[in-house]
Amino acid sequence: MDQETVRTICYLARLEIDKDKAQKIENDLETIIELIGGLQAFNTENIEPLYSPLEQTAFKHEDIENSDNQKKKFLNNSASSNEDYFLVPRVVE
Amino acid sequence: MLDNKSISSEELTKETFKLAEDLKELNCFVTMNEDASIEKARSIDSANDKHSTLAGIPLAQKDLFCTEGLRTTCSSKILSNFIPPYTATAVERLEHAGSITIGKTNMDEFAMGSSNETSYFGNVHNPWKKGYVPGGSSGGSAAAVAAGIVPAATGTDTGGSIRQPAAHCGITGIKPTYGRVSRWGMIAFASSLDQAGPLARSAEDCAILLNEMSGHDAKDTTSLDVETTDLLKSINQPIEGLKIGIVKEFNLGDLDSGVQSCFENSKKLYETLGAEFVEISLPNISASVPAYYSIAPAECSSNLSRFDGVRFGYRAENTDDLNDLYIKSRSEGFGDEVKRRILIGTYALSAGYYDAYYKKAQQVRRLIKNDFELAFKSIDLLMTPTSPGTAFAFGSKGAQNPVELYLEDLFTISSNLAGLPAISIPHGQVNALPVGLQLIGNFLKEDQILNAAHIFQQNSEFHLDKPSMEDF
Repeated sequence: MDQETVRTICYLARLEIDKDKAQKIENDLETIIELIGGLQAFNTENIEPLYSPLEQTAFKHEDIENSDNQKKKFLNNSASSNEDYFLVPRVVE
Repeated sequence: MLDNKSISSEELTKETFKLAEDLKELNCFVTMNEDASIEKARSIDSANDKHSTLAGIPLAQKDLFCTEGLRTTCSSKILSNFIPPYTATAVERLEHAGSITIGKTNMDEFAMGSSNETSYFGNVHNPWKKGYVPGGSSGGSAAAVAAGIVPAATGTDTGGSIRQPAAHCGITGIKPTYGRVSRWGMIAFASSLDQAGPLARSAEDCAILLNEMSGHDAKDTTSLDVETTDLLKSINQPIEGLKIGIVKEFNLGDLDSGVQSCFENSKKLYETLGAEFVEISLPNISASVPAYYSIAPAECSSNLSRFDGVRFGYRAENTDDLNDLYIKSRSEGFGDEVKRRILIGTYALSAGYYDAYYKKAQQVRRLIKNDFELAFKSIDLLMTPTSPGTAFAFGSKGAQNPVELYLEDLFTISSNLAGLPAISIPHGQVNALPVGLQLIGNFLKEDQILNAAHIFQQNSEFHLDKPSMEDF
């Protein structure tokens, strides 16, 4: 895994790696990818992926309002909010 | 003692907090819940409640379960100030049965780890030996039970995070069938693998707690809507003729000789109790670790994208724009192991690699599940060690190569991939450190593994061993 690939993945994940840790992270990722690469030795021709051990359709329930409006509680958990919204740096000038 | 009133719930609760304070050096708690606990204990005493199963019993909750009004951090800086507006269903059910949530236990950050060394709040010591890991990720819960602070605690298990710390701390812990316990209010790591369960001193105590935690929950779309069994009633059944499988591919001969001899002794004990052993082949089992380290990071990278510094949790200061706010909040808020797993997951899910890593891992996962299905046609349960060795010193594994630590989960991961229930019970010691035995059951057969574990404990005394605590 080269530095350019690591930079791209970091951007996709919205993460920044400290310069002094970059080499170690690169080496670690390389080692883990090598471990996962071991999967190629298994024959999976015509095998359906198993995305959940339950393999059943998630049940549905009626779309009925069943809880109080907790807007204030949720807004209070934000580092910055007003009475109605979460506040972030200006997006549109 | 609570029943015959030789101690009141208030006295017991106060004693619990005193013990937790005396053993603070263990570092098994992130947040204590003293005032609310004593208030609840008083109300239990005055109500004279004799019907609720857990009335007045102090429990510790892994700091991954949301608890309304009580800080929930997942042992991460990014959630270090998070006060949930609701309580997880599993905790709510335990509290409804009368238990008292005395605090939130330390863990590997976002449950990513097998040694409890990735917590933002520092390492948890193993009560059996200071400076040694308690296992992870539910290390704080396991240490709190082993040290005798609480009789039981909750944990979650994505690849062994209940069973491995239970083994390293000499207690009992069960990961139920996927879907048995509601995941609502559990902060997600890998949604198709995560499952909550109890850690306690015995299989019988685990059965009592699991009875309360289990059951359908309309708020969790993966919650199973099946008839629940009274697990307490189904233990203590004779095990004559029980067919136990030993997995050929695990090459137990390669393990530490002490771990091997514990295993052989337990096998003999089961044989004297009437069980029969059969060698079983799970041909694709060696793919468990690589499949897990593709699937779990992929699901983690998706689940942890919600932590962006906007709606809750840590927000970085002095940011230039919205993108910079996301990047800085996440980079300053997550620890190294969490970042490593997010990056691996992002890579496995990215264009050009999805089929080779993520889809391939899910195909292999089916092969592993098929192997188990075939095996359970001829056996009742499987027996393996829980962990390849005993607890180890802080910093001695995984620092140079993370994969070294990932291999700690060799025996536990496959039951998460297949969604099967599995329990770890103590079955001896090597160099004065506990060793765990794992029993894996078929889908929804918690009753069978709890029964086999209970019968073992009725005929041995390993689960009664306690650490001296003289180092603390």
